[in-house]
Amino acid sequence: MSKFFKTIIAFAFLSVVPFSASAEVTFVSWGGAYTESQIKAYGDTYSDPDSIIFEPYNGGLGEVRAQVESGNVAWDIVDVLPSEAIIGCDEGLFEDLSDVAWTDAPDGTSMEDDLAASGVTIMPPCCAPQIFWTYVAFYDPDNFPGNWSGAKPEGIADFFDVENFPGKRGVHTWANAIVEMALVADGVGVNDVYDVLETSEGVDRAFAKLDTIKDHIIHWSAGSKPLELVKSGEVVMSLAYNGRVGAANLSEGENFEYIWEGQVIEQEYICLMNGAPNRDAAIDFMIHASSSESQAEQAKYITYGPMRASGIDIIAAGEPWFHTGINVLDQMPNTPDKLAISVIGDPTWWADNGSEISERYGAWMGN
Amino acid sequence: MEAHISTAEQVLLTTDGIPLKDSLKKTERRNKIKAFLLVFPLLLFIIVTFVVPIFDMLGRSIDDSQINQVYPKTFEEYGKWDKKADELPPEEVFKAIYFELGTGDKIMIGRALTRMNYSKSGWKSLIKKTQRQIKKDLKAETVITSYKDRLIEINEKWADRTYWYAMSQMINERTPIYYWNALDRTYDAEMNVVRQSEERRIYVKTWIKTFKVSVYVTFFCLLLGFPVAHLLANLPLRYSNLLMIFVLLPFWTSLLVRTTAWIVMLQQNGVINGVLVWLGILCDDCRIQMVYNETGTLIAMTQILLPFMILPLYSVMKVIPPSHLRAAANLGAKPFTAFIRVYLPQTVPGMSAGGLLVFVLAIGYFITPELVGGKDGQLIGHWIAYHLKTTLNWGLCAALGAILLGIMLILYWLYNRIVGIDNIKLG
Amino acid sequence: MALPSYTKPGERIFYYFYITFCGVVFFFLMAPLVAIIPISFSQSPFMLFTEGMLAWPPDPDAWSFRWYRYMVGICEDKNLTTPCGNKWMRGTVNSFYVGTISTVIATTLGTIAALGLSKPHMPFKGLIMSILISPMIVPLIITAAGMFFFYAKVNLVYTFTGIIMAHVALSVPFVVITVTATLVGYDTNMTRAAQSLGARPMKTFFKVTMPLILPGIISGALFAFITSFDEVVIVMFMASIEQLTIPKQMWAGIRQEISPVILCMATCLVVLSILLLTTVEMLRRRSENLRGIAHR
Repeated sequence: MSKFFKTIIAFAFLSVVPFSASAEVTFVSWGGAYTESQIKAYGDTYSDPDSIIFEPYNGGLGEVRAQVESGNVAWDIVDVLPSEAIIGCDEGLFEDLSDVAWTDAPDGTSMEDDLAASGVTIMPPCCAPQIFWTYVAFYDPDNFPGNWSGAKPEGIADFFDVENFPGKRGVHTWANAIVEMALVADGVGVNDVYDVLETSEGVDRAFAKLDTIKDHIIHWSAGSKPLELVKSGEVVMSLAYNGRVGAANLSEGENFEYIWEGQVIEQEYICLMNGAPNRDAAIDFMIHASSSESQAEQAKYITYGPMRASGIDIIAAGEPWFHTGINVLDQMPNTPDKLAISVIGDPTWWADNGSEISERYGAWMGN
Repeated sequence: MEAHISTAEQVLLTTDGIPLKDSLKKTERRNKIKAFLLVFPLLLFIIVTFVVPIFDMLGRSIDDSQINQVYPKTFEEYGKWDKKADELPPEEVFKAIYFELGTGDKIMIGRALTRMNYSKSGWKSLIKKTQRQIKKDLKAETVITSYKDRLIEINEKWADRTYWYAMSQMINERTPIYYWNALDRTYDAEMNVVRQSEERRIYVKTWIKTFKVSVYVTFFCLLLGFPVAHLLANLPLRYSNLLMIFVLLPFWTSLLVRTTAWIVMLQQNGVINGVLVWLGILCDDCRIQMVYNETGTLIAMTQILLPFMILPLYSVMKVIPPSHLRAAANLGAKPFTAFIRVYLPQTVPGMSAGGLLVFVLAIGYFITPELVGGKDGQLIGHWIAYHLKTTLNWGLCAALGAILLGIMLILYWLYNRIVGIDNIKLG
Repeated sequence: MALPSYTKPGERIFYYFYITFCGVVFFFLMAPLVAIIPISFSQSPFMLFTEGMLAWPPDPDAWSFRWYRYMVGICEDKNLTTPCGNKWMRGTVNSFYVGTISTVIATTLGTIAALGLSKPHMPFKGLIMSILISPMIVPLIITAAGMFFFYAKVNLVYTFTGIIMAHVALSVPFVVITVTATLVGYDTNMTRAAQSLGARPMKTFFKVTMPLILPGIISGALFAFITSFDEVVIVMFMASIEQLTIPKQMWAGIRQEISPVILCMATCLVVLSILLLTTVEMLRRRSENLRGIAHR
């Protein structure tokens, strides 16, 4: 008995030894196939692949702020949404990287111009660009409902048109993108959405449009759900992260079709924690991860688009680019033709109005 | 007088010559200390690892000190503003905020910004733009005659009273505002408590919904759990132990798995609809919507929490002697009367323990409702997690938590009064 | 509780209704667990019965061990819909590690405390009992939030220590409740007898008290283990990949991946539980037979 207890005590003691900070860079990201693509595209191509540890997290700045506030920073690099990149930078949760020399595109274009070519004018000073991902509507033509009379939904207006395209719609449980989409469906030009949203009448207009499909919505909260909703016939079309749809199409042989017109393009950034334990190594890795080549490389494994315009050029030159030997640009959300018909999400507006819109959307959903 | 006392106290002594009373007292004290020493390690452990963290968090629900460190002068001057007399705050307020923005620590202002945006959207970009301009002013050493005009010149929103009114919510270092927010209330310009604007009223509804779901789930668990516990308690051990597996197996299976399983069961092309259509009870086009709504939440949560009702009920019922019911029958009671008057009262400890457990677990649930509840899936736990992770509005997060905790304490107190905490039993 | 021959028809109907009702509830409890088992053998990445699975005769292409191979980390296809790796296996190891250690600590501390609580001289009994039980009463999301803020301050988030401490706190109430309940029926004369015969307190406990209250301790330990093993909210906030547990990986699976691997894990755990429960039941019957106790 006593030997048993000794072993237990020894075990307990071992587990009590605090996690010691190693010289490895901790890169925190969303997990799943997305992190997997980052490991393949950035980690494996890095000069010292073993020095990077990839960690999953659930998003949000809660953990980031708790670490910085307590002074016990465990992470180095965090993969965040653009509005969070702005808030985290304002709050000093992330370190200002204005002085870092990011790599130029192969043709010598600077990072800034490269981003501007993709339509991104403001880059949070604490972060390096990652990918474009989108909220996009999609449907399964194999599951085509007979009562659509042969027509195919072509724009986001059709997503909001329950008369000609009857059936349930899958929509996420938070406000991002759906507000913009409602306005586009209501006839606002993709570039004017945020001007309209600046006024409270604009927001009311978006919610009025949402009211028209309220009874036809099934809400999902986990990113893998929309595919199951559409596949199982629970809904006829759904909004989803485009990468999920792309993965099902390219890797699982599904035949989902996108409704690109009116999609909302979101940016994704990697930011450096303020007080990161391995600051210099982390910056070095961020420079590597934000290069045009690395960003293009990521598209081999997931259909999120490189934020740098030069990344798209590399892919276009190298097709078939996907690792299974399939053309990938059709599934990419940010080819020039698609950029023209998409709303580019404005993180500044969301950083400003996000809390209030989210509450309003929550109230709207529950009514 | 003195003599009288001394004769009254014929003190009993132990063999050591100590008064017996003292000796007994001493032993009792020693026993008390002994008993306490046994409990002490765990008590200390729970206090350090659990009680302190919770109180530490609840402290955030009344704390607004960060923003008060950023704008001490502005808020001081703001307090002097007579809102009835002047449309906009006096020049001193504009001057104070001008300099506090121009010379303040960037990160501190950034953190305060997040706070300001909770009271009114738009603060963030307003302050950031203004701050940039002020910094330029200060560098260029621009001479400013009226700070009010200068700020309004930088951005016309400074002339918008609603921004200034929203500031009233932040000027106290210790504040009940988060509690008011958690109940859809806010301050107006005069710091009177008023209701939130209509489209932001969300928490009261969520509280009601959370309660409704928890009460329903507790009720259904009792309804389904009572007969099963009764059966298990009255069957011979060899059968009841086998049937007990049916209760324990779900109990041991991850709630995430069971949540997923219910989606598989309940969706339109799911098992239940499929079987109903196959049997010809439903037509193919009239499949029932059972998940991604409140029905789904109730079904899944009831199944997940049912074992928490059955196990305490079972342990109580097992020790109720069957002879009591027989005695009642012998005395002429009808089976129904005997059950109501004799059996049921004896199961109250089990019912209340199970009910308390199920209710507590249900009221804090957020994962299952979020996955199966669709638009009705956002219970109060969802908003606590949301403010914790996403909006960083930790004051509101803590206030919501504190209210939830308060409700639990009241229920717990009631339970303790009615049943007594010593009587709680599990399996 | 078979029906005696003298029951009236009304009672008879009620009895059958009652039995049917209980049957339905048992079905309700078990059906979802049974329904997911076939899907874990699906070829499709979606968690639903595909047409091929429902076809008769069975379509061999619709069924496979594909997701079981994923679970154990055998990655042969280049598919990246679901990352293939050792996460599930690591999660299993960690879950058992965290579960075992926190169970041992919780059971030890909880049993000792229960011994103290059941002494008649215990001061402030109600208050102390309330504090010890509070982790069970406080909604988990509040516990998780509070612990997360506090443990970050003392550098315990993303450590095994932090998670084990949190799990011990969560499981202690179950141990305290079950052991105190058992101690109510414990005859303290036993302790006195042992002590009067010269046994030291430790010896008295291990030789006399513990064997008698062992069922309560075991039942408390089981509750403690399950509490830790199935706990998802705390690990969601406080565990890094080093401390990945099964529920955390399941949560990631549900949110991030399209695959039924989570169902494979669940199937394995269900089978394991059935084996465990039947073994325990068989052992119990055997010991009953050996002791010559007639079946009730």
